[in-house]
Amino acid sequence: MKWATRANIHIDRAACAWLIRRHIDADAEFVFIADPAEVPADATPFDMRGVELGHHQGDCSFETILRHYQLDDPVLWRIAQIIHEADLDDERYDAPEAPGLDVVLRGLSMICTDEKTLAITGPIFDGLYEFHRHATLLGREPA
Amino acid sequence: MVRTSRPGVPGEWVLLSYRIPREPSTPRITIWRKLKRLGVAQISDGLIALPADARTREHLDWIADEILDAGGSASIWIAHPGTTATERDLATAMATARAAEYTKVTAEATAAAGRDETARLSLARRLRAELRRIHRRDYFPPAERDQATAAVDALAQPIPDPEEQPS
Repeated sequence: MKWATRANIHIDRAACAWLIRRHIDADAEFVFIADPAEVPADATPFDMRGVELGHHQGDCSFETILRHYQLDDPVLWRIAQIIHEADLDDERYDAPEAPGLDVVLRGLSMICTDEKTLAITGPIFDGLYEFHRHATLLGREPA
Repeated sequence: MVRTSRPGVPGEWVLLSYRIPREPSTPRITIWRKLKRLGVAQISDGLIALPADARTREHLDWIADEILDAGGSASIWIAHPGTTATERDLATAMATARAAEYTKVTAEATAAAGRDETARLSLARRLRAELRRIHRRDYFPPAERDQATAAVDALAQPIPDPEEQPS
């Protein structure tokens, strides 16, 4: 399937792309567009104004996608808290990782194409998932 | 943060023009809080501005959507102030608002200087979080910023025990 989002991606879009590829559509193909009017007819738009998979009721797009596809994995919801705070910084959740992750993504967006940012952040989110999967199983932070 | 491409030429600003129904008041208050948190400059009733960059543009885009969801009207504009004086007035108003926030932090930190170490460290943690919040909406840093940082850093420094001082 084809998925479309705004070019020059930051934390929420990078995390959504990872989520889509890992948990929704393994063959996902991403297109990055400058203007909402450029969304290809066969693509599902995300993290853009006025689309279903965007910000709603104070949620970031990552949370919206989890809800929309009924992904109830608690590890993904823990990551959602981090993405929410990195993106919106509204202190709804306690996510001390968020400011650091946000800076890393903002820095990457200065030196990388969107494709390269996705390639680099894929393993970062995989690692974040694994860390929090262990933490959930152990009931405490893994070593 | 560089806002103007050339000296003497006004930079780019992102404007949100909006109207929210008076009732229900909850979305109205939520949106007002979000705008306040972003440190927007109020140009007139229903018209606010921030220096344009990827982050400010994105935050205002989502707030515009939220206003539409709440049954209001909202549009986003990218604009240059017509004169450097207009831009300077906006920037000065924003810097003055931040300066007042920094001054409050400095006062709180200074007032606690004589307290015991546990109380000082706990206050330092809270004030550092507060400073981070202010930094996120500080687009034209006033001199008070460094003073507040120094006052909070001083709180976190251990006070030498007078009895251990060499005589």
